Amino acid sequence: MTSRTIATKTAAIPAIAQPPIERSEGSEPSGSISRRRLLTASGALLTAATLGIGGGLITPSRVRAQSSGAGPKARVVVVGGGYGGAIAAKYLKLAEPDIRVTLIERNPRYVSCPLSNEVLSGERDLDSLTFDYRGLSRRGVAIMGDEIVAIDPDAHQIRGAGGARYNYDKLILSPGVSLDFAAIEGMSAELADTQIPHAWKAGPQTALLRKQMQAMPDGGVVAIVAPPNPFRCPPGPYERAAQMAMYFKHHKPKSKILILDAKDAFSKQGLFQAGWREHYGDMIEWVSAAGGGAIEAIDAKSRTLSGAVEDFEADVINLIPHQRAAQLAVDAGLTDDSGWCPVNQQTFESLLAADIHIIGDAAIAGAMPKSGYAANSQGKVCAAAVAAAINGEAPPATSYVNTCYSILAHNHGISVAGVYELKDGNIVSVPGAGGLSPADADARTRAMEAEYAIGWFRNITSDMFT
Amino acid sequence: MFAARCRSSIRLLSPALFLACLLAVPAAWGGGVRSADMLAHTCAGCHGTGGASAGAAMPTIGGMEKIYLVNVLMDYKKGLRSSTIMGRIMRGYSEQEIAAIASWLADRPWVSTDRPVDGSLAHRGELIHQEFCETCHGDGGRGQDSKSPRLAGQWAPYIRYTLESCRAKGLSCKTRQGAERVLDLDDADIDALAHYYESQK
Ligand SMILES: Cc1cc2nc3c(=O)[nH]c(=O)nc-3n(C[C@H](O)[C@H](O)[C@H](O)COP(=O)(O)OP(=O)(O)OC[C@H]3O[C@@H](n4cnc5c(N)ncnc54)[C@H](O)[C@@H]3O)c2cc1C
Ligand code: HEC
Repeated sequence: MTSRTIATKTAAIPAIAQPPIERSEGSEPSGSISRRRLLTASGALLTAATLGIGGGLITPSRVRAQSSGAGPKARVVVVGGGYGGAIAAKYLKLAEPDIRVTLIERNPRYVSCPLSNEVLSGERDLDSLTFDYRGLSRRGVAIMGDEIVAIDPDAHQIRGAGGARYNYDKLILSPGVSLDFAAIEGMSAELADTQIPHAWKAGPQTALLRKQMQAMPDGGVVAIVAPPNPFRCPPGPYERAAQMAMYFKHHKPKSKILILDAKDAFSKQGLFQAGWREHYGDMIEWVSAAGGGAIEAIDAKSRTLSGAVEDFEADVINLIPHQRAAQLAVDAGLTDDSGWCPVNQQTFESLLAADIHIIGDAAIAGAMPKSGYAANSQGKVCAAAVAAAINGEAPPATSYVNTCYSILAHNHGISVAGVYELKDGNIVSVPGAGGLSPADADARTRAMEAEYAIGWFRNITSDMFT
Repeated sequence: MFAARCRSSIRLLSPALFLACLLAVPAAWGGGVRSADMLAHTCAGCHGTGGASAGAAMPTIGGMEKIYLVNVLMDYKKGLRSSTIMGRIMRGYSEQEIAAIASWLADRPWVSTDRPVDGSLAHRGELIHQEFCETCHGDGGRGQDSKSPRLAGQWAPYIRYTLESCRAKGLSCKTRQGAERVLDLDDADIDALAHYYESQK
């Protein structure tokens, strides 16, 4: 199950860097049986028993902390400070200030994918999508800059790239996706960084793609290669086409955007196709898999894409690779044959390893798509489940929401919403709720939805980072 | 899981809870009563943590009056109040859940917007407010009750959209008390009013 773990279980385990502990023992609210119980030295054993993993939880440093009477209630480590991880860390701290929460993120700043398609139209720059972790720090979350390279589920310990070790009682992973370059012959990570950007993780590749569009002559062709399901942000490639068209319409109106798709249908399809026509005429052309759009190989030099039936040449290629869970989850043996992480959809605890919870794009979450809003919602559900487990309580009954806005033009936004519940262990849509913006919405509604899309971004990022 | 908790609680707990457990157990795995925290946290992705919006079109909803919230959310659920998205969202919650969410939100502190407002625009708005709106939206829009939401410190773009929507719907915007008065406002009036309310903290 675990293809890369570390074999140092018997070595002395240094305690991880500790955030200030904001409480004194005497300030416990009274009347909470489970809390009082946990303040005794045997509390850890009770918790461990409830979690069904026996005494293995009691690492040397934990016993030390418990016996000195000054330790935290439990240590939770969150890996990945994006849409899922930042929220899980914050909401855990909000629910249980006595839990020590450490967030480990490889990058000093987070660059949001949502709204990054607007960098391609020139509507905004990457700075407006960039956030730091000071707000979470102020809430008492310890922020560690590190790249986690190995997980040892038995020892309840993870290891950073520089050799640092972090012990946890509960581990929450929200590491996002990894890109499967090998699925298309001739494609590679190196090509993506230099010539054929995917821009599916916002950052330098987003800027590179924008530059390539700016350098392209009027009348050129951009090919967007759209991946098969499941992938991060189902409406993303189609919103991207609209944002590219917004730029071309004003600067290079003879240009074409070709979407070469591995699928025969896509998210909000009717709304997208009507919006494309309304604003950009026939600038955007979508080729379904059945119509020959599924790409099998690329020749980067001649900028040629090969499908099953025909080849396509383009001036700029945005190849969005096939996807699976982030490398860390794959390496740690937390994925199944699908390439994604199976979890208990009520608690997000891995079905393959105890005390490791996985949320966001990496997780298999029933009917929920892989989106930022879904990761946010899962982060809160997971935080509540982890807090309950630490308190020796049953996991709480759950509620989940997703919404994806897409901006097709300045005054044209559309959305898909879903409200979800747990049925027989699976996340399913609440019947009758959610759905698409109406096909016949008036111009006012479309304009308001474009504004609400920006408002959504401001609020979801303030939910994460303040 | 819920069943397990019920079993261990049965000896200790009140008859009402005992009954609740009996009723809940046959529900699907993971069923049971969803806490107000759990339900209300789903709104924060759009409305901000605790319903305090970071702007600009999304309204602040934390700290609004409970019955007002219940009414508005039920109207969205039943399709009685027009919306771009709230109708689709609220159909996912039961009446009892809506009451729980409303209580939770009403218990949050109201957080006014934190940006400066154009003074002369706000002054123009104040005059309109005093003539047409103060009777229901008392104390410069700080007052609120089951029919009138708090407006002071709300985001101006949201107030503008809402008034424009109401005006566009004409006489069918009747579920709201102030509808007739809104019909008489022109765009500049609405803009001035929205800025006035945002300026009142
Ligand atoms: C173009 C585009 C547009 C989008 N638009 C929207 C939208 O409008 N609405 C919406 O809801 N969603 C949108 N999405 C989807 C959204 O970006 C993702 O669904 C969301 O980011 C998933 O959150 P996550 O926490 O799973 O992963 P991420 O947000 O990617 O966070 C993962 C974090 O983990 C860190 N990490 C990974 N591995 C390690 C490691 N080993 N050690 C340390 N740190 C690590 C990464 O650096 C990263 O910061 C869009 C995506 C794209 C590409
Ligand atoms: C996808 C974003 C989104 C989500 C999720 C969302 N809202 Fe809203 N909310 C809006 C928008 C947009 C409006 C303005 C009305 C409209 O066009 O739908 C609004 C309006 C409201 C209002 C009206 C305020 C007033 O006085 O006019 C209330 C109350 C409200 N929402 C409560 C909630 C609650 C409670 C939840 C969670 C159960 C929620 N919202 C979830 C976007 C959202």
